[in-house]
Amino acid sequence: MAEAMLAVRGMSVAYGSVRAVDGIDLDVRAGEVVALVGANGAGKSSLLKGLMGLGGRVGGTILLGGANLYGVSTQRRARRGIGYVPEGRRVFAGMTAEENLLAVSRENAAARAARTQEMYALFPQLGLRRTSPAWQLSGGEQQMLAVARALMVRPRLLLVDEPTLGLAPAAARAVIGALRDVAAGGAAVLLAEQNARAALAAADRALLIRLGRIEASGPASELATDERLLRAVMGG
Amino acid sequence: MTAILHMRTWLVRDLNILLLAGAAVLVAWPFVADDAYALRLFTQAGIYALAALGYQFVFGHAGALSLAQGAFFGLGAYIAGILSVRFGAGFELTLPAAAIGAATLAALIALPVLRLRSHYFALATLGIGQVILLIAINWESVTGGANGIPNVPALSLFGGTVGRGWPMLVLVWSLVVAGALCARLLTGGLSGAALQLMREQPMAAEASGIDIGRIRFAALLLSALYGGAAGALQVHTVRVVSPEVLEFQVMVMLLAITVIGGRTSIAGAIVGAVLLIHLPEWFRPLERYYLMAYGAVLLAMVVAAPWGLMGAMRRARLHWLPEAPPPPPSAGPLPARHPPARLEIADLTRQFGGVRAVDGIDLAVAPGESVGVIGANGSGKTTLLNMIAGAETPDSGQILWAGGDIAGLPAYRIQRAGIARSFQMSKLVEEMSVLDNVAAAAWREFGGPDQGDARRAAMGLLDLLELAETAWRPCGALPPGLRRRVEIARALVGGPALLLLDEPAAGLTAGERERLAGTLAALNAAGTTLVVVDHDLGFLEKFAARLICLDQGRIIADGPPAVVRRDPGVVAAWLGQAPAKEAGHG
Amino acid sequence: MDFLQLAVNALALGAAYALVALGFVLILNATAAVNFAQGDLVAAGGFLAVALAGILPVPGLLLLPLVAVLMAAVGLAVCAVAYWPLRDRPPVAVFISTIALGIILQNGLNGLFGAEPRAAPPLSGSGHLEIGGLVVARQSLAIMVVAALLIVGLRSLLWHTQLGRRLRATGQDREVAAALGIPVGAMVALTFALAAALAGAAGLLLANQFFITPTHGTDFIVKAYIAVVIGGWGRVGGALAGAMLVALFETVVAALADYAVATGLLYGALLAILVLRPQGLFGEAEGRRA
Repeated sequence: MAEAMLAVRGMSVAYGSVRAVDGIDLDVRAGEVVALVGANGAGKSSLLKGLMGLGGRVGGTILLGGANLYGVSTQRRARRGIGYVPEGRRVFAGMTAEENLLAVSRENAAARAARTQEMYALFPQLGLRRTSPAWQLSGGEQQMLAVARALMVRPRLLLVDEPTLGLAPAAARAVIGALRDVAAGGAAVLLAEQNARAALAAADRALLIRLGRIEASGPASELATDERLLRAVMGG
Repeated sequence: MTAILHMRTWLVRDLNILLLAGAAVLVAWPFVADDAYALRLFTQAGIYALAALGYQFVFGHAGALSLAQGAFFGLGAYIAGILSVRFGAGFELTLPAAAIGAATLAALIALPVLRLRSHYFALATLGIGQVILLIAINWESVTGGANGIPNVPALSLFGGTVGRGWPMLVLVWSLVVAGALCARLLTGGLSGAALQLMREQPMAAEASGIDIGRIRFAALLLSALYGGAAGALQVHTVRVVSPEVLEFQVMVMLLAITVIGGRTSIAGAIVGAVLLIHLPEWFRPLERYYLMAYGAVLLAMVVAAPWGLMGAMRRARLHWLPEAPPPPPSAGPLPARHPPARLEIADLTRQFGGVRAVDGIDLAVAPGESVGVIGANGSGKTTLLNMIAGAETPDSGQILWAGGDIAGLPAYRIQRAGIARSFQMSKLVEEMSVLDNVAAAAWREFGGPDQGDARRAAMGLLDLLELAETAWRPCGALPPGLRRRVEIARALVGGPALLLLDEPAAGLTAGERERLAGTLAALNAAGTTLVVVDHDLGFLEKFAARLICLDQGRIIADGPPAVVRRDPGVVAAWLGQAPAKEAGHG
Repeated sequence: MDFLQLAVNALALGAAYALVALGFVLILNATAAVNFAQGDLVAAGGFLAVALAGILPVPGLLLLPLVAVLMAAVGLAVCAVAYWPLRDRPPVAVFISTIALGIILQNGLNGLFGAEPRAAPPLSGSGHLEIGGLVVARQSLAIMVVAALLIVGLRSLLWHTQLGRRLRATGQDREVAAALGIPVGAMVALTFALAAALAGAAGLLLANQFFITPTHGTDFIVKAYIAVVIGGWGRVGGALAGAMLVALFETVVAALADYAVATGLLYGALLAILVLRPQGLFGEAEGRRA
């Protein structure tokens, strides 16, 4: 089996005295979608933020393509090939959809333009709204934009935080489907999702997270019917 | 013997010994440098100290960056100057007239301006200063225009004359002492803690029954009273009033004094004023550039020590001479509980943008019930809680409580009606002790600078929640489990009949959850009605006899936990829909 | 005074105010902080032009790039001293630190140049032009043209270059911009440099026709502040329109009554807008920071 694109060992994330993530091991290989499933406050979002270097005191080791990310700034993590889709989408509201995509690119003008076309091929709906200010887009379109924006730099690892929150089923399907395409293109995808069924349908493997720890892990299809799933999500 | 020990503790604590030494030096200095110029500088320092003490009410205690203090000061100077030159009024008249005149201006501007926040408030208050300056320059028949009014007579008090030099200095500093004592009475002890709560956690303050709008109003009025009085002293000291007293430089000086001395420390205002008035003397080698030194010192303080000189000394003392905490106060009786009442919500709706966060909810909670509220992220739980507690205004619908509709009432009035709450994100004052965090919420009941009674009452609640050992620890140093308990203790200060808790178990370990659930069960057994929002059914089941599940702003299940847990709609809402299926909601 | 003449004066003044307000808005959008020293940077730019004119006797137009570059360097220093150390504190901390910086600038200028008004060299010769029967001061015309070019240039930088997109992305959501690899620290520093360069240009333009004193800065910042409030907090186009309105109001009312009445009414209007329409005169902002 190929070496993991992302290898995490004993990771913790603490905010003040709160340990949001408490000793998690996980691997994500190139070409694979791994889902983190759990209730709100289980630590999924904190884990992704910790990987990105956004707040919290992070312990443990994080290897990206074998290189340690310890002490690497957020901006450099992005430049080393992590794409990030934040919770709540957080598109650049005052800029058009196309500007959102262009702004993060690090390629020359021709390559930038070509890459936006690839994004419009992935999300045709976005191509139709390319000149609209991002705040005018629907929730689904904003989510597509947030994913496309992260993909502009051809990341090796894509972190996606709660992409289906508040989306209509059709939009949720489009976004989740695109993540499968991204993995098929060779990237590693780590997906944090409260909507357990949507996440498990899209993922190869999944981790059930509760109170900052891994409750169970395995192939997504097996966990979908596991009784521990309901427990992880509902508590008790 | 104990008195001597007590004295020693008092001297060492808060560096009072240093302050006393400083005060002694202050008193001695004019004797040592007994020339007219030194006395004048010292008089001037006293005047600015008084104006800065006033400025602390609004900038320090209420936390609003007002740029109108210079205008109050200048207005006071003009009022006193005009009255004494044109009408020969004595200080017994010019002082109150100046103070009340400035306060009247404050009251007039308060209505539009106090609603504004941060930058807007600063700009609006700056604008008011500029308008007053323009009037002073252009209303020549009254103000003397750009040249002002010369030959203001020496200060007369009940017929006698108070001359320059020592007499004026003593008068000014007596007023500083009086002003400091008043400020101590108004902002010391328990009031100081409550004001800090209001500044740092305004939502928690409102939820503790504190009417922030009223306090901001009072702070602005007080700042104007002090500023106007200082202006009157200024005009009698320099014997001339001109538009200079209204220029932005005066405002900047007061801001610098307050930032450098310490924003809420009475000693800080005095130390800051004495320092800044003497700064030009010490920077005299810089010649024309000495004023730059003000800016440089102010900048350095903002960057390196935003808590000011007094705060820095306190920090240094805590670092180098940590003291053993005093024994906790004896526990007082628990607050009297509001009579139990029924909560009845009818057709409650709240929209954000196009999304109905709460969509026509009907809900009744009987006295003594314990209800858990569950639902996915964004299902409307917190919005529902916020509307009951008055943190958000419903678009439509009723919230009946104890015989009246409380929908849309401000949070502090709902707290006073017997409904208390906690917050999803912990809202404690981090550097304040556990005891004072709880005591501050009892300000309305106990008032005043003396914190003894409030602390004893708080101690009773800390005992109830098994927090007695942590009484003197700063909240910032507590683990999350204890922080949640502190917040519950604070919510209980008003003796609520209904307690609303928003995700009290978030961030807690399994053991801490277990303990918290036990506490809540005990509270409920003692008669407090509970409505608790959380994600963890296992936690809720331990004390709630009834669960309500929200989905997209509506109630989709309501019943005993065992039933709700197996409800297919609830399960679907929690696990979400697989994207392949179309049915239901996403 | 002839109404058209008045309008030309108002436009020239408005153009210079617009440059001040633009610099203010750039920093506001990039950092959510108020740069209270922006007005003093204008005064500094004006005096820099005065000083350079003493060394290099060339028209103001040729001094303009030099002033802009030197002021950009000052902007970097402002960022490093008064903003960067306070970036994680409440915005009011930067408000106070830039007030302090303003005092330093004002009194530094006062020490170097004295308190009396000084004039920078005209952009391209003084005198008047006659256009279609209307006599216009060359300087007024030059101010308008130069300011318009600067504004158009800034607009195309922000809207049509990769650098501009990155500057704007940083202003919209700094954390996400960093997480997507945009060097946000450099973008913020660059914003301060740009804002100070604009202030310098405004100083050079204003210092010829209206003279300049070290304490003028407070006046400029208050006008810029008002323009930004009128235009809607953080809106670039709104700030431009607001600056024009402030200048027009000032010029026309001052001509009809006097300057004090104009300023008094301006503050009255400002208070009314703050209370009645805090979102500004020109519609809702884009739903981001308030």
